[in-house]
Amino acid sequence: MQPVWDLPTRMFHWLLAGLILFSWWSVKNHHTDWHIWSGIAILTALIFRLLWGVVGSSTARFAYFVRGPRAVRNYLGGNWTGTGHTPLGALSIIALLTAVCVQVGLGLISQDEDGLFMGPLARLVSSDTSDKARDIHELWFNVVLFLIILHIAAIAWHRLRGRKLTKPMITGKAMLHPEAEPMQPGKWWMALLCLIGAFAIARWVVAGAPPFGP
Amino acid sequence: MRIVPLTLVALACLLPNASIAAGKINPTAVMHERHEGMETIGKASKALHRELDASSPNLAVIRAAARQIAALSVKASGWFPQGTGPDVGKTGAKPAIWQNPKDFAAKLHNFQAEAKAFNAASNGNDIALIRTQFGDLGQTCKACHDKYRSEMHH
Repeated sequence: MQPVWDLPTRMFHWLLAGLILFSWWSVKNHHTDWHIWSGIAILTALIFRLLWGVVGSSTARFAYFVRGPRAVRNYLGGNWTGTGHTPLGALSIIALLTAVCVQVGLGLISQDEDGLFMGPLARLVSSDTSDKARDIHELWFNVVLFLIILHIAAIAWHRLRGRKLTKPMITGKAMLHPEAEPMQPGKWWMALLCLIGAFAIARWVVAGAPPFGP
Repeated sequence: MRIVPLTLVALACLLPNASIAAGKINPTAVMHERHEGMETIGKASKALHRELDASSPNLAVIRAAARQIAALSVKASGWFPQGTGPDVGKTGAKPAIWQNPKDFAAKLHNFQAEAKAFNAASNGNDIALIRTQFGDLGQTCKACHDKYRSEMHH
């Protein structure tokens, strides 16, 4: 067993899964305030992941796992011995991250139907825009949900073909192809810097952005 | 064939809900007025929230919105007669309203009392008090909506 996923990447993954579930549950049960805080937590996690995707371990870096169409074709043809996200899986990761970023962005500028709750950036746009953003936020969840279902279906499909993907996302380790290059781990202090950066940006958003308000 | 509609009217008069059947209340009109009224309250609340979040709230805007909500809250007493539920037409009003009339009336009363108190506070210049009263008013909206309003998509 060799390392494939570093601890920050795994923590991000499960935290995101848990927070999306909580966001859905809280809004369905009229806990709009918790829903907003959950969205801010997702924002923080996303910023961390984007930063870690630039300076983190090799398998966490976008430049490492996002490949062109030829790599996808080679992978589909069975000629892929890499470490981490497959070229096709990478597209799914990018789609998921983008969809969740859009969802968080819409939520930040939304307000509820009754004028009781507002996203931290809702005052940067008009009341009508906030209402529209909420409507799209509700619809966009279906896009996020579709990608999550696709993600889980792909894992199930790999499982049927004998590849277990869930356990490595917990333990961080997997059996690699003999020719696969090992993961280059990131620096712990780099992870800490990414975390500080993520909290700082999220704090700025919570304050109402620009110079703390519109 | 005049007889058929007349028979229907005659039958309708025998229904337990005399007020609607006797033609005093037009359910569609009530539901429309309710929808418009609630939407106006929502818009006023959004304007208030934005104003009260601002560093220097505009009291004229706040007072106008507070007056509007207080006036509509009084009218709301007539917005939920029997026979204006989801079985009659498109509405976010849950049947639970007419299954728990006492609780619903108490919640409606709380809303009216808080709307009145908020309106009174807004006539003063104490922004902190106005903010507190607005929060209390919002709680009465939420208490009712959580229990008696279904999700509406329009």
